[in-house]
Amino acid sequence: MNPYQNQPNQYYQQQPGAPQTPQQQGFAQASSPGGFGSALPNPSNGGNNPQQRPRTAGSLGSNKFEEDYSIQRDPTTYAPITRERATACKLKIELFYKQNVQHALERNVRRQELETRISNEPRMSEERKNMQRVNFGSQESNFLRLRRTRMTADDFHTIKVIGKGAFGEVRLVQKKDNGRIYAMKTLLKSEMFKKDQLAHVKAERDVLAESDSPWVVNLFYSFQDSIYLYLIMEFLPGGDLMTMLIKYEVFSEDVTRFYMAECVLAIEAVHKLGFIHRDIKPDNILIDINGHIKLSDFGLSTGFHKTHDQAYYQKLLEKAQAPSAPRDRNSVMIDAIHLTISNRNQVNTWRKSRRVMAYSTVGTPDYIAPEIFIHQGYGQECDWWSLGTIMFECLIGWPPFCAEEAHETYRKIVNWQESLYFPEEIHLSPEAEDLIRSLITSADKRLGRHGAEEIKRHPFFNGVDWNTLRNIVAPFKPQLKSMTDTTYFPTDDLENVPDAPAVAAMRAAQAQGSLQPPGPGEETGLPFIGYTYKRFDQLNRHGGF
Amino acid sequence: MSFLNSIGRKFNPDGKRKGSKAPPLPNMPGSSGSFGGGSGNGTPSSSTSSVVHRPVTQGVARPLFICKPYVNSHLLKGNFKTIVVLPKHVDQGEWIALNTFEFYEYIKLFYTTTLEFCAHCKTMSAGPGTDYYWLGTDRQPRPLPAATYIEYVLTWINNRLTDETVFPTRPPNSLNTGGQTQIIGAPHAAQGGQTWVGKEAGFPPTFFPSCQAIFKQMFRVFAHIYHTHFVNIVHLSMEAHLNSFFAHFIMFSREFSLLDPRDLEPLKPLIDAFDEKGMSQGIKNAPA
Repeated sequence: MNPYQNQPNQYYQQQPGAPQTPQQQGFAQASSPGGFGSALPNPSNGGNNPQQRPRTAGSLGSNKFEEDYSIQRDPTTYAPITRERATACKLKIELFYKQNVQHALERNVRRQELETRISNEPRMSEERKNMQRVNFGSQESNFLRLRRTRMTADDFHTIKVIGKGAFGEVRLVQKKDNGRIYAMKTLLKSEMFKKDQLAHVKAERDVLAESDSPWVVNLFYSFQDSIYLYLIMEFLPGGDLMTMLIKYEVFSEDVTRFYMAECVLAIEAVHKLGFIHRDIKPDNILIDINGHIKLSDFGLSTGFHKTHDQAYYQKLLEKAQAPSAPRDRNSVMIDAIHLTISNRNQVNTWRKSRRVMAYSTVGTPDYIAPEIFIHQGYGQECDWWSLGTIMFECLIGWPPFCAEEAHETYRKIVNWQESLYFPEEIHLSPEAEDLIRSLITSADKRLGRHGAEEIKRHPFFNGVDWNTLRNIVAPFKPQLKSMTDTTYFPTDDLENVPDAPAVAAMRAAQAQGSLQPPGPGEETGLPFIGYTYKRFDQLNRHGGF
Repeated sequence: MSFLNSIGRKFNPDGKRKGSKAPPLPNMPGSSGSFGGGSGNGTPSSSTSSVVHRPVTQGVARPLFICKPYVNSHLLKGNFKTIVVLPKHVDQGEWIALNTFEFYEYIKLFYTTTLEFCAHCKTMSAGPGTDYYWLGTDRQPRPLPAATYIEYVLTWINNRLTDETVFPTRPPNSLNTGGQTQIIGAPHAAQGGQTWVGKEAGFPPTFFPSCQAIFKQMFRVFAHIYHTHFVNIVHLSMEAHLNSFFAHFIMFSREFSLLDPRDLEPLKPLIDAFDEKGMSQGIKNAPA
C-alpha cells in the first residue's frame, strides 16, 4: 500500500506524540525546526509563511541544519473533485508517456523501413535517396503538426445525416481542408456517462484505432468538445446488410455463403485483436464500395443497445415473468401468424419498423447469445451465436427469435431449445441447417468455441477460398453516382425519426445559448481519457475513397 | 507584441535581476480561447511581470520536494534522450511546437489539481525568497494572487498556441491534392538570407522567442507548484508524475535552449538531483 514501505527509514525521525496508524509502519512523520509538520495535514494551508521557508531557493541544497522528512499521506481531507482531478492527471500523464515512447518507436521503424527500401535500390542516385529522406521528414513533421492541431466539428462540413441513435448520430461529412469524405459519429458525453456506456466507447475507439484490418471500419480521428465525442471513420457507401435484406428479402445459399464466409473472417479478425464484438447484427455489417463487408459499431451507433447492461436484462426478465401479461401472449400468437413465407410484406414492415425503433430506442436483442443475458461469464463464442442467427435470417427471412417486444425475444432466446424452429415450407440444404444448428446452441457445444478454423471447415463452406475471399467479385456491388452517394442509406426514414430526447434537449439548449461550457477544472475529463486520436498514415490514406 | 524586443531586455544591464519582460496580459474572460473566467475589474492591464526577491528573516527546513524519498520518486526511469532529441529528418520547428503544446496541456492538468489550495495563495511565490510580480500599466510591480497570475499565464499561452500566425497548424493552400500532403507555402521562405527555427516549415521568426517566453512562464508555474503545493501533490500521490514531467520539461528546454539557466534557480536543487540520476544523458547543454 505504501510505496515507500520497503525503504530504509534512516531519513525519518519520529514526530513525538504523533498518532501512529498501522499504515505508518516504516513511514514516520518527521519534525524539524519550524518544519512543515504542523502545516502539512491542513490542505488549505497553501499560503506563504516566511518562517517556514529557507532564505533563498539557491541555498536549498546546502543542507546545513535541514533534514529530510516525510509526511503521512492523507488525501481524505481534500475535496472529491481534487482527488478526481489528481487521478485524471496521473492517468493522462501515464498515457502521455506511453504514447510518447510508442511514437518514438514507430517513427524509428518507419525510418528503418525507408533506409532498407533505399538500400535495396542500388541504382538509385544519392540525390534521389536524399530526396526520399526529405520526403520522409516532411511526412513525419506533418504528423507532428497534426497532433497539435485541435480538430473540431467545424473542420467538417455535413453532407447528410445517415444514422441516428439515442446518444447521437452519424453524418456523412467532408473535411473542409482536403475535401475528403468520412462518416462522423457524434456521441453525447453526458448521456454516455449517465448510461454507463463509457467502457463501450473506449472499447470501440481502441478496436477501431488499433486495427489495420480490412474487416474493420477504419478510424482516422477521434476528438471531443465539452458536449460530444466524435469519431471520424471511413464512409462505406454500400450501406449495411440489413438494408440489403430489406431489399432482397432472402438470399440464396450462394449469396449467404459469401456474406457468412466474410463474416467469419471479420469476426476472427476482431477476436484476434483480443476483443469480443458482442453485438454482431445485420445493421453492423457494412458494405464497402466493392460490395465486401466490414464490421462496425463496437457497442454504439444506433443507440447503444445496452448489450452489457445486466440491469436492463434483469428488467426485461421481470417483465417477461410478470403474470399480468396477457397482451404479451397475444403478441406471441401474432408473431406465429405473421412470420411465414406468405407474409413477406409483414416481415419487411417488421424490419423497417425495427430499423426506426433502433434509431431512437434500445434495439432488439435478436442476435444476442443467451449466455450474455444471464449473469455468467461469456467468451468469444457469443459472436458465433450471432452469426448463426444472421445466417438464419438471410436464408429464412426473419431472425429466429423475433417477436414484437424485446422481452418476448429475450424469453425465446433463453428457451432457444424450444423456440428455434425452421419453417417447413422453406427448403434449406442439410449443410446450411446443420451449420445454423451448430452455431445456435449452448456455448459449450457451439462450433467456433475452439476458433474460427472449425467453422471454416464446415461442409457449408466447401469450396470457399479463405485466402482470396476479399478479392473476389462480390454478389452485389454498390452502384454509385458520386463519392457522396447515399442511395444505400435509407435516409428517408430518418427524416421521420425525431432526435432522441437527450439529443433534442442538447440541441434546444444550444439554440438558446443557455449552454455553459465547463470552465477549467469543472470537467476532469476523467471518463474520456485518451480519447484524442490521430493516425499517422491518415496523411497518406483516403477516407473511404 | 513582438517577443524579439522582450528577449533582448531580459535582464537589467547591471546584472541585478529586477524585472524581465513577460507576456502581454491575456485576453480577459469572454474572449475566445480564454483559459478560465473569473477575473473581474481591477486586474492589471499591462504586459509585464517581474521577479522580486524578498529578504527572509529565518532559515528553515528543506523544501519537501528535495527530501527523500520524494526527490527520488519518478514515473519514468532512465534518461530522456529518446523522447527529447530531435528525431532524424524532422523539422525542428514542428518538434518544438508539438512539445510546447503538450507541456502546456499537461502542466494545466497539474495546476488544475492544485486549484483547491492555490485559491489561498496570496502571492505567486516560488519559495520564501522569491515572488513573481505582475507589472501594471504604471510599470509598478504588483503582487497578484498566484491563481490569478497563473490563470493569466495559461490564458496567454493558450492564445499564443492557437495563434495561427505564430503556431500555424494548417497549410495556407487548404484544398489539397489528395494523397500527398505537404507543408506548403512557407510564407517566410521568400525572405532570403536570414534563417530561424522552423523557417522551412512555415513558422515565423517570432516563433522561437515565443516558445522561450512560454517556457519561462511555464517554469514559474512549476516553481510555484513545487514550493507551495508539493505537500498537496504528495498527499495526492502525484510526486512521481510531477517529477518526471518536470524533468522532461527541463531536459527538453536544455536540448533546445528554451530557458535561461539563471531563471532556473528556484528549483536548482531538484534539477541537480535529476542530473545526478543521469536523466540528462545525451541531452545538449547538460552539465558535464
